[in-house]
Amino acid sequence: MSPNLSRALNIAGVFAISAILLVAFWDQFANAELPCPLCLLQRAGFVCAAMGLALNIRFGPRPSHYAIVVLSSLVGATAAVRQVLLHVAPNTGAYGEALFGLHFYTWAFVVFAAMVAGSAVMLLFDRQFEPPRPAGLPWLGTAALALAGLLALGNGVSTVLECGGGLCPDNPAGYQLLDPAPPAPAG
Amino acid sequence: MMSVPFFGCALAMLAVWAGRRWIAVGLWALSLIALAVLFRLHATDALPLAF
Repeated sequence: MSPNLSRALNIAGVFAISAILLVAFWDQFANAELPCPLCLLQRAGFVCAAMGLALNIRFGPRPSHYAIVVLSSLVGATAAVRQVLLHVAPNTGAYGEALFGLHFYTWAFVVFAAMVAGSAVMLLFDRQFEPPRPAGLPWLGTAALALAGLLALGNGVSTVLECGGGLCPDNPAGYQLLDPAPPAPAG
Repeated sequence: MMSVPFFGCALAMLAVWAGRRWIAVGLWALSLIALAVLFRLHATDALPLAF
């Protein structure tokens, strides 16, 4: 696999992760579903994983960049598995609506596992790591970095609005900074 | 506090674009550590499972 083909696949990967984050945003705002703390941690796992792909795009493919994808995916998958286990037993309910038969946290685990497997497959192709590394940043790569960066920033702002400066409540009821709790009655 | 990994990665993405590889990797590492700590703080309830 040539370095240029590797870069193209990494660009596609960043766009795929951005699409996942956009679907999560769409569900949050169009369906008025507040992301739970574990949901937010899974989103952060996707953003961290996108960093490894972004480094491949900008600086050329390196094994250490794929390691960043794998490590981020493992942490994100841990949060996803935790949420699956919270709801896997009968009569324990679920969080949010299902998409194509699976809940978002189950999809998140599937995608994190796929990213670990995909990184392992990419590491099989040694020729992508040989010099010369691709120079410059193609416009599609710039667009991918910009989109992922904006989504990371947007998720950060949304999280501040929902949770303020502290930890999120386990079952969020609203945006803390937009709908502050009424003051306690005097006396 | 929950937003730390997002803002860390947003800054890291900016560093990638600016060609500052080690700054980007450092910000990513801090973001991932923050993510792991936040997970630990939120994973407090016992799971409703029995084997």
